[in-house]
Amino acid sequence: MDHYHAGVLFGLTTGLLAGLAFVMFLFKRKILDMSFDERQERARGKAFQYAFLTLAASAYAYGVSDLALGRWCDVLTGVTLCFSVSVVVFAVTCILKDAYLSLREKPRTIMTFFALLSLVNLGFGVMYHLSPGLVENGVLTFRAVNPIIGSATLVILIVYIVNHLLRPRDEEAE
Amino acid sequence: MKNLRMKAARAALDLSQQQLADAVGVSRQTINAIEKGDYNPTIKLCAAICRRLGKTLDELFWEE
Repeated sequence: MDHYHAGVLFGLTTGLLAGLAFVMFLFKRKILDMSFDERQERARGKAFQYAFLTLAASAYAYGVSDLALGRWCDVLTGVTLCFSVSVVVFAVTCILKDAYLSLREKPRTIMTFFALLSLVNLGFGVMYHLSPGLVENGVLTFRAVNPIIGSATLVILIVYIVNHLLRPRDEEAE
Repeated sequence: MKNLRMKAARAALDLSQQQLADAVGVSRQTINAIEKGDYNPTIKLCAAICRRLGKTLDELFWEE
């Protein structure tokens, strides 16, 4: 393994561990919570089914496109793309069925967190685009992982806000 | 089918959907879905709702 690839591996591992530590911190501070009621758990189970099927279909489509078109993106980018699509399907299904946030989560805090996550990742995407590195020799590099994650969180955020705005304010009117 | 009996029992106690939801440990949307007939609750949740509203299972959930 040369220095470049060792650096990439170290960077990815460090990022993953930092992300895990941050999520654990959010759970410890009760910002993230998994207390769902029975209706929400049922709706989330259905959403999980849809997400699993989407993941399987997108992974297959990625494999077929790689065979048909040749290598058009790094494997890590392709995997992230498939994963992000399935996460978006899961989140959107949950949002539409009022089962995305648990009983104790505060919508404003979670959505602020999503907005920041989206902004930071899209910011990295713009930075990589301006200082060439996003596409090398016609291949989408692993640096595209950031804008893909940023786009996915942005879609989830937009769906959540639109769904919230379109819902009747008066509970008895629903 | 809408559960108007549950809605009437809740209204008689002057409880909002949110207050009933907090009392039985579910989300307001779940109470709303039950009243609209969009969701069939488990017997455990039915019993919790009955206890809070002071009604029997038959009075709130039995369909003739």
